[in-house]
Amino acid sequence: MQATLNISNLSKSYDQGKVKALDNISFFVKKGDICAVVGESGSGKTTLIRLIAGLEELDNGEILIKDQLVASIKKNTAPEKRDVGMVFQEYALFPHLSVLENVIYGIKKSKTKKDVALETLDLVGLKGFEKRYPHELSGGQQQRVALARALAPNPSVLILDEPFSNLDAMMRHRLRNEVFNIIKKTGVTAIFVTHDTQDALAVADEILILQNGRLVQKDEASALYKKPQSIYVASLFGNTVQLNKGLQTAFKCPLKEDCCHAIRNENLTVNQDCDYVSEAEILKRTFLGTHSQLLLKLDNGEHLTVVTNEPVLGNTIKIGFNSKDVLAFDE
Amino acid sequence: MNIKDRFYKLKRDLNRWSLLLLLILAVVAIPILTIGLKLFDGPGESWNHIVDYVLFDYLQNSFLLAIFCSIIVIVFGVTTAWLVSRFEFPFRKQLEWLLILPLSVPAYIMAYAYAGVFGYSGVFSNFMELVGVDSFRIEFMNIYGLSFVLSISLFPYVYVSCRTFFLAQATNLLEASRMLGISEFKSFFKLIFPLARPAVIAGLVLVLMEVLNDYGAASYYGVSTFTTGIFRSWFSLGEPETAIYLSAILLIIVFGLILFEKWQRRNLNFTSAKSSKQNYNSRLKPKMSNQIWFSIICFVPVFLGFILPVVQLVIWVKQTLEKVWNVEFISITLESFGIAFLTASVTVLVALLLLFFTKWNKIELLKTTSKLGVLGYAIPGIIIAIGVLIPSLYLDKWLIERNITSKLILNATLIALVYAYVVRFLAVAYQPLESSSLKIDRSLSDSSKVLGKGNFRTFFKIEFPLIRTGLLSAFILVFIDILKELPLTLIMKPYDVNTLAVKAFEYASDEMVSSAALPSLLIILTALIPAIFLNKLLLKNASNT
Repeated sequence: MQATLNISNLSKSYDQGKVKALDNISFFVKKGDICAVVGESGSGKTTLIRLIAGLEELDNGEILIKDQLVASIKKNTAPEKRDVGMVFQEYALFPHLSVLENVIYGIKKSKTKKDVALETLDLVGLKGFEKRYPHELSGGQQQRVALARALAPNPSVLILDEPFSNLDAMMRHRLRNEVFNIIKKTGVTAIFVTHDTQDALAVADEILILQNGRLVQKDEASALYKKPQSIYVASLFGNTVQLNKGLQTAFKCPLKEDCCHAIRNENLTVNQDCDYVSEAEILKRTFLGTHSQLLLKLDNGEHLTVVTNEPVLGNTIKIGFNSKDVLAFDE
Repeated sequence: MNIKDRFYKLKRDLNRWSLLLLLILAVVAIPILTIGLKLFDGPGESWNHIVDYVLFDYLQNSFLLAIFCSIIVIVFGVTTAWLVSRFEFPFRKQLEWLLILPLSVPAYIMAYAYAGVFGYSGVFSNFMELVGVDSFRIEFMNIYGLSFVLSISLFPYVYVSCRTFFLAQATNLLEASRMLGISEFKSFFKLIFPLARPAVIAGLVLVLMEVLNDYGAASYYGVSTFTTGIFRSWFSLGEPETAIYLSAILLIIVFGLILFEKWQRRNLNFTSAKSSKQNYNSRLKPKMSNQIWFSIICFVPVFLGFILPVVQLVIWVKQTLEKVWNVEFISITLESFGIAFLTASVTVLVALLLLFFTKWNKIELLKTTSKLGVLGYAIPGIIIAIGVLIPSLYLDKWLIERNITSKLILNATLIALVYAYVVRFLAVAYQPLESSSLKIDRSLSDSSKVLGKGNFRTFFKIEFPLIRTGLLSAFILVFIDILKELPLTLIMKPYDVNTLAVKAFEYASDEMVSSAALPSLLIILTALIPAIFLNKLLLKNASNT
């Protein structure tokens, strides 16, 4: 399938090269796919999308949108000519324009402008809100206006920058599904930045993991979860315990030395038979509602924190895991 | 990145805005560059005489003025700022903005008024006669008197910057300090004053720049400073070269001040820690006797810096109105307002272009350099005047020699005057514009661009409607500054044009200081607008932090 967005060897640094924001990144996004960019703060997520949008200039590499070169060391197509839509983190709705004027703003065909805007507002479920001003809307409604405004000019690539970070948890889940249903319906190629891995797992066709400006893994959601290529990626998607030498001794599980090993917290079993087991003394229990967090002291004095929803009685337990659940990464 | 890539990048990022930005910067830099270049011509004949006999006086007087003024403005500024932002007392709200009013009285007008107050038939001697001590007189027209009049008209700079700091930051820290068992008084000296140092110095540097810029007050009180020295070298000794050499020394002092201010800010950036939201709701209410003291303490600078000089001026106006109020005066007033209006419009436009060309330019180095464009405000008006005068004389001479024109078209014309004003007051217009444009979320203009609109359309449709308040405040501030300006106007104004400030100066110089009262009072009344406006803006900002 044709790639709508193609990025090769992209690098960008700030402060006269002292701070490397992106380091030699290459990837592509297929037409109609939703690609999530995940990483901690400072990993280069925002720089990446600002470069794609044309809001900043790259230091090296190339960006192609629909096979057209839009940015390189020699060329920089202005953002207004890139055919890209963007939903900003704070929505960036123009405060002095009404909802309809906001949505019309980017539409080019003058004759059908209003019809297209009304249609898009209908699509995002905001029919009847045309005359309101941004400050008269709730956070969720503002988010939908921002989406409508970005979709109305029918861009080739839609960029969403932390689109749900300003919403509370309930609203976030509801709106997440709504927004991505709309995006799927329009068939636009989308790239969205998030630090919430749940968002990425729930809606993305592919996930791209950035760490310190480098692309560390790009895969489908399930593959990323099951086969993370580094402890960093593994720990982004849930609590992970690195099996260091001390833990390996405690569980009597000699593992290969040239590898780094880890086990997901949900794969640790309490008082069950499994391949590797260790006796543990419970030092502290913290009740967390649906589950409890236990601070354990293992046979050999090593400490380990586990989260379990099993009822645990007494002061000692058996903690263990199976060899098939051990994750191995190259150092 | 190799040289080839750097070249490609530069070629890619160089746009027309970069070139236009460079053009503005070059035009604004001409006066300073001129001073720098003219230094190579060598000093004039009297230079050695000046170095041997008067340079030390200039240095000593300017230095003493700086020291005296610093002490007075810190005492007045910090104390009053602390009291109004930390305590509740009678008339606090009124005093809070009344304390800004001395800013509306230019230092030279303050100097005339105080010369009157302490003169033979002035308010002070009348009062002394009233209490039966008619032989007591204070000799005021000396360096101490000059320090006082400069300080009392300029202390609001320190007051404003400290009050902003106290309102925005101090409450939380003080509460923490009080909880640790330190008294309010001790907390102020141990905690708040050291933390407020950058705010104090920021205000103080503005005061010192105005002190160095002053010509009217110093020349009226007969105190030799750098500025009066530059005037004398050029206009009495007829030696522009010497004036340029003195200007260069003054410039070095000013740049030293700027660097000091920047350096201290870099070292003390801890004060930019998170500000507290709840602030002046939690003022302390001391016991009644202290409250009355606080009211009195805050009233004193208002009385000395505004009420007393204005009363003196009003008394004079009553005495001289018939003589001064005539057709000539009305025409001078109209000219003065006309020039201020025209120049404020041009300055705001140039500031706007500078701001947005910087934003649209993509070359990082130029972005940093663009700050140099607003250095004019730090540079004394007299230096800018000389820096404009010399190239405009050259250009006129060149044009006349080539028969392109038969008369002066730049020198001593409105064009040169407006140009000099723009260079001098660009920063005054730039700052409110910059701060109002910084308040616009960057993503608003970004999203407009992503939505297909170029720089111009984004400016007119999104940015311009959102910075209108900034534009208005920029305009008003420049308008008033031009109305008050004296040294630059004295040198640059066309022969047939006069302004209120120059007229007041002429009256005072001609021993008719009472006649200077009407133009002075008119300047003060007009300048009251931004004093009130500034206060409202300050309160709004404080409540937004």
